[in-house]
Amino acid sequence: MTLSAPGLRRRPDPAGTPEPAPVRRTGLRRRVRAAGWSYAYLAPMAVLVLAFVVYPIFASLGYTFYQWNGIGSPSNFVGLANFRQVLHDSIFWGAVEHTFVYAFVLVPVQLLIALMLALVLNNPRLRFRMFFRTVYFVPVVTSAAVVGVVMQLMLSNFGDAAGSLFAGTGLTGSHIDWLGDPHTALAVVIAIGIWHTLGYNLVYFMAGLQTIPAELYEAARIDGAGPVRCFFSITLPMLRQVGVVIVVLAFIGSFQVFDLVQVLTGGGPYFATEVVNTYIYHLAFGGGSGSGAVQPDVGLASAASFLYGLLLILFSAAQVLALRRLGRRRAGSAL
Amino acid sequence: MRTGPIARTGRRGLLYLALTAGGLLWLYPFLWAVGGSLKSDDDFFATGLDPFTTHPQWSNYSQAWEEGDFGRYFLNTVLFAGGTVVLTVLATAMAGYVLARTEFPGRKAVLALIGATLFLPHGYTIIPVFDLIQRLHLLNTLWALIIVQSASGMVFGTFLFMGYFSTIDRGLEEAARVDGADFHQVFWRIMLPLSGPMLATVALFSCINAWNSFFVPLVFTLSRPDLHTLTVGMFTFLGENSTAWTLVCAGSVITLLPIVAVFLGLQRYFVNGLAGAVKE
Repeated sequence: MTLSAPGLRRRPDPAGTPEPAPVRRTGLRRRVRAAGWSYAYLAPMAVLVLAFVVYPIFASLGYTFYQWNGIGSPSNFVGLANFRQVLHDSIFWGAVEHTFVYAFVLVPVQLLIALMLALVLNNPRLRFRMFFRTVYFVPVVTSAAVVGVVMQLMLSNFGDAAGSLFAGTGLTGSHIDWLGDPHTALAVVIAIGIWHTLGYNLVYFMAGLQTIPAELYEAARIDGAGPVRCFFSITLPMLRQVGVVIVVLAFIGSFQVFDLVQVLTGGGPYFATEVVNTYIYHLAFGGGSGSGAVQPDVGLASAASFLYGLLLILFSAAQVLALRRLGRRRAGSAL
Repeated sequence: MRTGPIARTGRRGLLYLALTAGGLLWLYPFLWAVGGSLKSDDDFFATGLDPFTTHPQWSNYSQAWEEGDFGRYFLNTVLFAGGTVVLTVLATAMAGYVLARTEFPGRKAVLALIGATLFLPHGYTIIPVFDLIQRLHLLNTLWALIIVQSASGMVFGTFLFMGYFSTIDRGLEEAARVDGADFHQVFWRIMLPLSGPMLATVALFSCINAWNSFFVPLVFTLSRPDLHTLTVGMFTFLGENSTAWTLVCAGSVITLLPIVAVFLGLQRYFVNGLAGAVKE
């Protein structure tokens, strides 16, 4: 077969070669034909990604100009009215705010706990360290939806227990409804979110810590540096590269929160925990807290998700730039 | 630093104590759910936050399995997760192999494209996906779930396989070619069997993600309760039987236990996959 050694073939060079054009074209065609099985092996992945990841990003743009309940084909063209409506919807901006509060509380707290735990568990003299790692990691592999249900049940029991405790002191009424009170609901959702995905960051940090050569610590110890000094002068700077990835991943994950909120509160009470993804879901598929009879409006939902996507891209770009600058400055000062 | 052996042992002991207490607290919700699934209804309210019960009610499980339809949800979830694992592993292994070990026009463009999708925010494109599935006449089928779920894991799996295949010695491939093996034989007989650890990693990732997936099955089986998976089934069961708390606990144990067991058995591959992904 002609494709017997594709790895040895010269790399394709689409520009800059002084060959005459016709020869190049037949050369390209021959190369394409010779690599036929490569394309065939690539096809299942490429088709799935193009159809279900890339195409939807562009297709959702088209819906934004229509008022459409999702059944049949969109026909009621409304121009930019959907964008205008979303931008003037206080619930949308509330949802954006809640999502950002969720992310900006969850990420620092979770990373701090995970880093401390990773430092403890990274000590090779600690026995059962792999067992403890497993214990703190397990929530990650459990479904957010089911965890939400269990937590909901537990909290209503806990509300009773805590309520009777407080009743003795005469501070409050008999029952604390943690998820039903607009003042506490978001905090409870955030706490559960921290618990649920902490394990990822624990494993990331442990992996990062293992890349730091032990000689660095030995040299520092000989020079008389204590554990605190070692942490700030060796551990933190050496974790910088992995740390940037961890922060970016943690934010990406937090901005996409849906399962936990949908199951715990459905965005309620009174939209107090409505995040952007539950807002979009309620627009597109109906339902939602306090507004059960609302007609699904896919156009409006698409406009909201497009605006949110734009917001996230802006945020990601700013984040990468900021972290890169931070990384460069620290690298400079460490030298 | 300059502490005596007694002080050091004491400190070490305190550390173990703190880690154990924290671990118990960390796992408490699961212990409580297992306890709740074995309580009688009266017991459930009487014992509150105490996970232990003196009279375990094993019948809660059979009741959840049959009357609560968790048996059906379980079967659906097994089919859904199984299909997703097979599709994801095959498609990403093949794509990872050709991207790592063969050269063809357009290779760079493919790499750029899948690299770009890593940075695009996902999840807000569910509406066109829904529309596409509807037009393919796959709405309300398990196939829709399998295809959409697999698509979401394609890029990650492809990158993992690509990294793995690029580390395998080229001499093996060339020796096989000299012996007359063709493109397919090299991949299926040599490269794929050599990628065992990565197969396990990608399979485990896609299995856990599918098992726990909520949004995709929720959207695509909204009007077909008989196709619900365990996660969606839990959600609707709670909506319809908000007072059958012991059964809800039994249902959550049925959902959580299998995937935790799979994870405990294969966690090495899961953790290695995560650690490798973040270091690159």
